[in-house]
Amino acid sequence: MAATTTDSPVHGGHDPDVDRTKQYIVVAAVLAVFTAIEVSTYWFPKEFPVGLSTGLLVFLMIVKFVVVTAYFMHLKFDKRLLTVVFYSGLVLALLVYLAVLTTFRFWGPVEDHMVPPTNAPAGAVSTGSGG
Amino acid sequence: MASATTHFPEADAPDDDVVHGGHGYATNTGISNTKLAMWLFLGSECLLFGGLITTFLLYKHPLPGTGPSPHELYDIPFTSISSFVLLMSSLTMVLAVTAIERNDLSRFRLWVVATALLGAVFISGQVYEFQSFLSEGMGYTTNRSSSAFYTLTGFHGVHVTVGIIMLVSLLLLSLRGHLPRERAESVEVVGLYWHFVDVVWILIFTIVYLIP
Amino acid sequence: MTDVPAIPDATLALPSGAVPASAPAVGVFSRPKAKTGWRAWVTTVDHKKIGIMYGTAAIAFFMIGGFEALLIRAQLWAPRQHLLSADVYNQVYTMHGTTMVFLVVMPIGAAFANYLMPLQIGARDVAFPRINAFSFWCFLFGGLLLNTSWMLGGGADGGWFNYAPNNGLIYSPTHGIDFWNVGLIITGIASLTGAVNLITTVLNMRAPGMGLMKMPVFTWMTLVTQFLLLFAIPVLTAAQFLLLFDRAFNANFFNVQQGASPLLWQHLFWVFGHPEVYLMILPAFGLVSDMLPVFSRKPIFGYPFIVFSGIAIGFMGWGVWAHHMFVSGIGPVSVTVFSLTTMFIAVPTGVKILNWTATMWGGKLKFDTPMLFSIGLITMFTIGGLSGVSHSVAPADTQQTDTYYIVAHFHYVLFGGAFFGFMGGFYFYWPKVFGYMLNEVLGKWNFWLMLLGFNLTFGPMHILGLQGMSRRTYTYDAGYGFDVWNKIATIGAFTLATSVLFFIFNIFWSKKKAKDLPPPGPDPWDARTIEWMIPSPTPEYNFDPVPTVTSLDDFWYRKYGETEDGRLVRIATTDEVCQPVHEAHVHLPAPSFWPIVLAFGLPIIGYGLIFSLWLCIPGGLIVAAALYGWVTENPDDPDAAHDTGHGPGEHASGDGVDTQAELTDGGDAEAAGEADEKEAAPVG
Repeated sequence: MAATTTDSPVHGGHDPDVDRTKQYIVVAAVLAVFTAIEVSTYWFPKEFPVGLSTGLLVFLMIVKFVVVTAYFMHLKFDKRLLTVVFYSGLVLALLVYLAVLTTFRFWGPVEDHMVPPTNAPAGAVSTGSGG
Repeated sequence: MASATTHFPEADAPDDDVVHGGHGYATNTGISNTKLAMWLFLGSECLLFGGLITTFLLYKHPLPGTGPSPHELYDIPFTSISSFVLLMSSLTMVLAVTAIERNDLSRFRLWVVATALLGAVFISGQVYEFQSFLSEGMGYTTNRSSSAFYTLTGFHGVHVTVGIIMLVSLLLLSLRGHLPRERAESVEVVGLYWHFVDVVWILIFTIVYLIP
Repeated sequence: MTDVPAIPDATLALPSGAVPASAPAVGVFSRPKAKTGWRAWVTTVDHKKIGIMYGTAAIAFFMIGGFEALLIRAQLWAPRQHLLSADVYNQVYTMHGTTMVFLVVMPIGAAFANYLMPLQIGARDVAFPRINAFSFWCFLFGGLLLNTSWMLGGGADGGWFNYAPNNGLIYSPTHGIDFWNVGLIITGIASLTGAVNLITTVLNMRAPGMGLMKMPVFTWMTLVTQFLLLFAIPVLTAAQFLLLFDRAFNANFFNVQQGASPLLWQHLFWVFGHPEVYLMILPAFGLVSDMLPVFSRKPIFGYPFIVFSGIAIGFMGWGVWAHHMFVSGIGPVSVTVFSLTTMFIAVPTGVKILNWTATMWGGKLKFDTPMLFSIGLITMFTIGGLSGVSHSVAPADTQQTDTYYIVAHFHYVLFGGAFFGFMGGFYFYWPKVFGYMLNEVLGKWNFWLMLLGFNLTFGPMHILGLQGMSRRTYTYDAGYGFDVWNKIATIGAFTLATSVLFFIFNIFWSKKKAKDLPPPGPDPWDARTIEWMIPSPTPEYNFDPVPTVTSLDDFWYRKYGETEDGRLVRIATTDEVCQPVHEAHVHLPAPSFWPIVLAFGLPIIGYGLIFSLWLCIPGGLIVAAALYGWVTENPDDPDAAHDTGHGPGEHASGDGVDTQAELTDGGDAEAAGEADEKEAAPVG
């Protein structure tokens, strides 16, 4: 690999002289390990509580997300405005869509999803007759 | 007739936080226009994919008797390999950016090709997967889950394809000598798009495929 | 490879100014050179021309939407009329609403944002001039496509909000809904690309010394508006694609037989739709916040509060959407939550009303036409806001919803609010844009007639609504007490139309008379912000030199100081402070025809999606060719003069950015991504 010094900065906000190759490979290895752990949940015994495996999967997903954005996409080393701009979109999406799911009673039993609380009897398969 | 090349004292403001956003002019934030624009766009994409993911979650289970649900048909080991491939393409992408920043143009082209190839492998894996689902009775219009599944993953696939086109464009520009180190930022910005597409897959893989 | 030549040859220029070794020109065509005539407008990338085009197109669409409104009011003059059949009536009110929201109010906001914001921040153009042009043509073609529905099978007829399952093939087998859907996807692309562009401009391209808290309020409101667009449009786009796939490819997103929920459409639409109404009003709030101080000869009261309340409205607007769904069966818990959040959002708006009133209090008021419209906005919007607060009380809304009470509310806030603000803005900025003042006597007639007509039309609708007259129905029966109020409303509507004719007449009359009057000069209103220190009409290069800003209302403090006892004293004349007209050798972004060509491919794809998928192929090819041409375009006309100064203000804003945008497909990713999404048929 060629020498890493540059004579003029071509972008602001981080230092191009540092060779980040090693860091990237380590990050990629970490991501691969996490992915392997995630995939392994496919083979968890049926008795394993669903909440726990879901929690583990969501946790790993978030970690991978943050790691890719922080290191590969450089947010950790760039100006904070970029993090603010991107994460506000992300957080907004999270809040809004979680609220939408909540009004659909997504967190309850499957039969109650999308069934309007005022009309159909409990447990009835929805015909979408609300609203 | 005043000329713009005359220097007015007030035009020579101190450049504390200068970055060269273009032809050597500074931006207020120190971030180039193109990079800021790409991050803004990616922020908006969260809302788009969020809507499609939400739709999928609501329609995850088809009505009884309307055909297979995607869950019954997943081949998790296969999709894991696809996911791994896409993840590694992020690594090759970032190596491509490092290479061009170091003025190592041949390495840069190598890593760009690698990234595009890995992306193409991923897409092939998706196509194969869709075809196998189709043969097992889950088409686009079969039920609400199938429509939601194919639309969400299809949107993602189209984004990957657009990314591959951009990577190939970078390669062609580089081969014709139009992509020197001074232009490394273009590569970085394409890289941002590519990593975002990977990150969306991280979400999709977990939410759509893995969560029981 | 690192020497800096004086003038680059016709190659892709580099950010540093260096020339790559032996790189031949890539672009096939040279950049267009027209400076006058239709070619200049079609290839322009100048934010000022683009702003004027947005405004002109919006006024044209306003005539169409206004005509549709007059049809509605004529039909409702008396009970059981048959001027319009029920089916045609549905089309007329749907197109009226869709046109007014998407093709009038939003583009007028865009017109002001495009023309004015770069001037208010001391920039020479926006961050991505070609993308800016593309946004305009995209909007225009989307709006035209939508309106061709009238001639191609009938207009959309599901209401501007287009609920499922009515918007599906079973209940709406004709193409009207498809025109709504595809047309608005295209205008959505315009809004999204515009948002990225304008946010980047405000954040990155302010004049030296202009910190965020020294920006004029209009620029702040534009920034908030563009963020709202950035995040809200994709939600609508998601819903529209789901509908598109349902209608074109038999997907099951709103297919009730397959267990789909119509509420999904409502949620997605209103998650977009509520921020949408805030982004319609905020630019007008910004204009009024900048006009009131000029005509009160006092600074805006509580500038930080005005700014932060605007930001607060932007944030809180995301948490109230389901107040449009109180009777859709979402359940008492959801209803309560959204009822509360809706009540809270009245607070930041109330803060603004207080601040505007306090600005006028104790000021030396001048009641020129812009001021009249500004006060009009404050009063009319307050009325609309009060009815809005009554909607937030969910049990009350259960009675009000789907009645004319709601129609009254949103017309008070959108017409009495946003449109009055825009009218004030037109009168205020006309001299800056066109170099002549609009006649003040005609302006006052315009205002009073508009105020009268507006209140006659929409005031009675409060009563009609509370009496139970249902909206979205083509007629009503006699004997309910609706008759006289409907007649008054119809008379009001035609009065309104007359007032609009006054405005149009004023434009042409004033232009004709301008030859005999002295030119308005740079600062006819004795205003406060830096766009008034450059000649009227604005020269092509905007500022020369770019000023260094030292405070809020920087221009005012160049003109005025204060004595020890706080009295204003003029410290510099207009000639001393304002920039003279002169020939400046400023390098500006070169024109291009790729934006209009790229935009042109989209409606062709659109017609393909509506009628025959084969059409998508030529449309897609045009898009692909245009993208290729755009990316490989020569960055500049090599014969144009270059300035060689370095520093924040000296360079034309578009230079290096154009180059980056060329090379970086990333800069065009939004255009490419969205366009490609449309040409790729979904799998299966």
